[in-house]
Amino acid sequence: MRRFSWFNATSIALGFAFLYIPILLLVIYSFNESKLVTVWGGWSTKWYGSLLENEGILNAAWVTLRVAIVSSTLATILGTLAAVVLVRMGRFRGRTLFSGLIFAPLVMPEVITGLSMLLLFVALNMDRGFWTVVIAHATFSMCFAAVVVQARLYDFDKSVEEAAMDLGATPVKTFMEVTLPIIAPSVISAWLLSFTLSLDDLVIASFATGPGATTLPMKIYSQVRLGVTPEINAISTIMIGLVTIGVLVASYSTKRASQRQERELKAVDAGAK
Amino acid sequence: MRRWLLISVPYLWLVVFFLVPFFIVFKISLSDIATAIPPYTPTFDITDIRGFLSQLDFENYAFIFSDSLYVNAYFSAIKIAAISTLLTLLVAYPIAYGMARAPKEWQPTLVMLVILPFWTSFLIRVYAWIGILKKEGLLNLFLMNLGVISEPLTIMNTTTAVYIGIVYSYLPFMILPLYASLEKINPSLLEAAADLGSPPWKSFWQVTFPLSLPGVIAGCFLVFIPATGEFVIPDLLGGSETLMIGKTLWGEFFSNRDWPVSSAVAVVLLLVLVVPIVLFQRNQEKQREAA
Amino acid sequence: MSEAAVLGSSQTATSGPGQKSPVRTPAPQSGFAPWKDPSREPIVRFQNVVKRFGDFVAVKDCTLDIYEREFFALLGPSGCGKTTLLRMLAGFEKPTSGRIIVGGQDITDLAPYERPVNMMFQSYALFPHMTVEQNIGYGLKQDAMAKPLIEKRVEEAMTMLELNRFAKRKPHQLSGGQQQRVALARAIAKKPRIVLLDEPLGALDKRLRQQAQFELMRIQETTGTTFIIVTHDQEEAMTVSSRIAVMDHGEFRQVATPGDIYEAPNSRYVANFIGDVNLFEGKVVKVDGNFAEIDWGPGLARFKSLAPEGCTGDQQVWLTLRPEKIRIAFEKPSDASNAVPGKVVDVGYLGSISHYHVELGNGQRVKALRANSARTVERPISWEDNVWLEWPPETGIVVTR
Repeated sequence: MRRFSWFNATSIALGFAFLYIPILLLVIYSFNESKLVTVWGGWSTKWYGSLLENEGILNAAWVTLRVAIVSSTLATILGTLAAVVLVRMGRFRGRTLFSGLIFAPLVMPEVITGLSMLLLFVALNMDRGFWTVVIAHATFSMCFAAVVVQARLYDFDKSVEEAAMDLGATPVKTFMEVTLPIIAPSVISAWLLSFTLSLDDLVIASFATGPGATTLPMKIYSQVRLGVTPEINAISTIMIGLVTIGVLVASYSTKRASQRQERELKAVDAGAK
Repeated sequence: MRRWLLISVPYLWLVVFFLVPFFIVFKISLSDIATAIPPYTPTFDITDIRGFLSQLDFENYAFIFSDSLYVNAYFSAIKIAAISTLLTLLVAYPIAYGMARAPKEWQPTLVMLVILPFWTSFLIRVYAWIGILKKEGLLNLFLMNLGVISEPLTIMNTTTAVYIGIVYSYLPFMILPLYASLEKINPSLLEAAADLGSPPWKSFWQVTFPLSLPGVIAGCFLVFIPATGEFVIPDLLGGSETLMIGKTLWGEFFSNRDWPVSSAVAVVLLLVLVVPIVLFQRNQEKQREAA
Repeated sequence: MSEAAVLGSSQTATSGPGQKSPVRTPAPQSGFAPWKDPSREPIVRFQNVVKRFGDFVAVKDCTLDIYEREFFALLGPSGCGKTTLLRMLAGFEKPTSGRIIVGGQDITDLAPYERPVNMMFQSYALFPHMTVEQNIGYGLKQDAMAKPLIEKRVEEAMTMLELNRFAKRKPHQLSGGQQQRVALARAIAKKPRIVLLDEPLGALDKRLRQQAQFELMRIQETTGTTFIIVTHDQEEAMTVSSRIAVMDHGEFRQVATPGDIYEAPNSRYVANFIGDVNLFEGKVVKVDGNFAEIDWGPGLARFKSLAPEGCTGDQQVWLTLRPEKIRIAFEKPSDASNAVPGKVVDVGYLGSISHYHVELGNGQRVKALRANSARTVERPISWEDNVWLEWPPETGIVVTR
């Protein structure tokens, strides 16, 4: 059995300290009684209380949540389709362009994506607001979703799908009864990833939005520019807490599901060797 | 028939909402600013090719290249992105190495812990550093209490703060591909190297590092490309002296409301990034085919 | 339909000299030979089928008839086109040109799920999220069959393959051999007209494999279904099949019963591919009735052997000789038609038999086999011994390519 060497243990410990200490400090100072971030004035939850009275932030949070749910669902459907097209459709005219289009948003600077989206909406004369943000988020999230599902599709034995068709299932039935159940864990992770991407996004939403659809990151950003306030720490802590719980629960349940599947697939693969 | 229906749904979506917008950006970059809504006057009609060619108007580009502010912002963005990519690699490598050599049953948890911050808001993570780095912030407080320094350090609103912000925010993007390629290396290769008389540090440079190169390359692209166009980090942590093109574009668009010039800035930024993006995609496809 | 028509591919695949010669092959004859009956309609007909992948030609103009209740083997090295041929029959690949006819119906353009064939996959391709029962019943469910009927048919298939105990298990809870049986049960559950088997036993170890081969034969006989198997294992093909098509580079080299393939190969390629063989290159100098005299080097005694069909003088030929057909002795046999002296350079003792590598005067090495039927021998043949090799003229086969 392998053990941690002192060098590896130290580098991991330092690395994780670097990753987590800033977040930890932010959380701790959200419970600070004092308004001055650097002066510890004792424990208090009063900033959480004042959040509840801040209608602007509450509205923004509600808009953000709705955008995230709708856009991530759209992104997961489109991304799964895109992954199936990339992995299962073989060569077709324009495939290179298509895989480029899936790939580019992953690394494209957000300012460019945001600006180009906005100019499209203006050119189409669309009223900017909730739906334009949803479209913008769905578009760049679908590429992340496609990558996640694609990895899973590459993994699994194509002959399982062929077997279903050989036994008389039409392509649509094969997808619903065989492919989808097998790739389900990756589709769920794709949704979660799209959801958090939408929840986090500041830049693209700033470009794509219009009056009446201010998202939480936009609200936070405009307040941060005015200075550090414990209220921001409090809302950040709530977001971190929710996302952490969500991710932990999801990863625990999908891990169990995918472990089971992994074992199943491994057994089938081992049978093939 | 059904095949084409299936292909066309995600394809058309991306063409309409991702590809076409770039052409619109290009078109508007050739327009003149106007005090109207939207604040530009189109210089040509897309359907009129001849008119289009005769009226091509590159004055926004000429303006960008004649103004040292923009040119400096491009170069400075590339420089800052390159240096922070290198720094991220240096910070990430030992962590990824340690993870890949950790006991097998620990590894999923460690990977999870690297991914977790990535799930929490980017903006919040950058915001967290403001409280740490500012003059009366926690870092200075800590160091002064320890007696390491007597005067507070000025980090906030400098390029150093931007480096810290980029390394911190993009660290998972570097660690994960590095870990993936390091984890694949068969430990018996190192045993073989040792058996053949190579001391550990030599084995590292001659065996481990070359085999981890795919991860190094992927990680560097994943950090460098988005960092070049970064807006939030230089805006919140950097000072007025920190020029980055993403910030310039934002300012041009939201403060100056000059849509044509900000479009031209975006087009040039895209051209700057096209080479690394294409190289990266090639590299990824090659890796996938090899696998 | 004549044998030649059955074989007729782009190249003229002659059926070898075995047909006209007085030789009786020692292989068992079952009397089941629908391919010899011109009134029989084939169940599968490949008609000038070509498959190209870009520039690569996987299958070159193949024409082949397979008959009902046959256990037909497509045998060849990897990349010879055998799997492509099978996948075209299943509908996973579309021929570049040519037609595929099953039971008189042209199925070339049908989708996989519209064809009366079922396949057992090399990887088994069991649905990981379904139980054994659900896997086997999946095909029946697609036919919208009544539930009790499905249950009955699944039960039948499970009984036939002794899988009843595992009905509620998922694939990952089964051993390799059990998974293999589930895959087979799933392929036969729909009672298709043709079952396709793509390297079905490749994943099993040798002992299990032999057991599984006999199980395949048993299932094929009891169900009376036509089986088409793809394999690269010549022993497997010889064991299970009624006829074998030896393939190479997308072409049929020979299509015949296992006995004929072994005892009467039509080319050096087939002789080499199936079993061990000694090759002597030479020229026909005289044809005398059924027999030809072959000159295989200056100063060497001529061989006498069965003449190949249409053989003329001065033709370049190869004598193919199986090691077990050669007798090895210390003394020169008195009345042998073919006898050559040589020196033993290598001996391999395998218990039941021994291998001898004998170097002839011209430097050529010949392999001979001898069964160790006596427990003790006065003087065993050993290294450096000078020996004589002898074989009757009917045992060697002369091929012209």
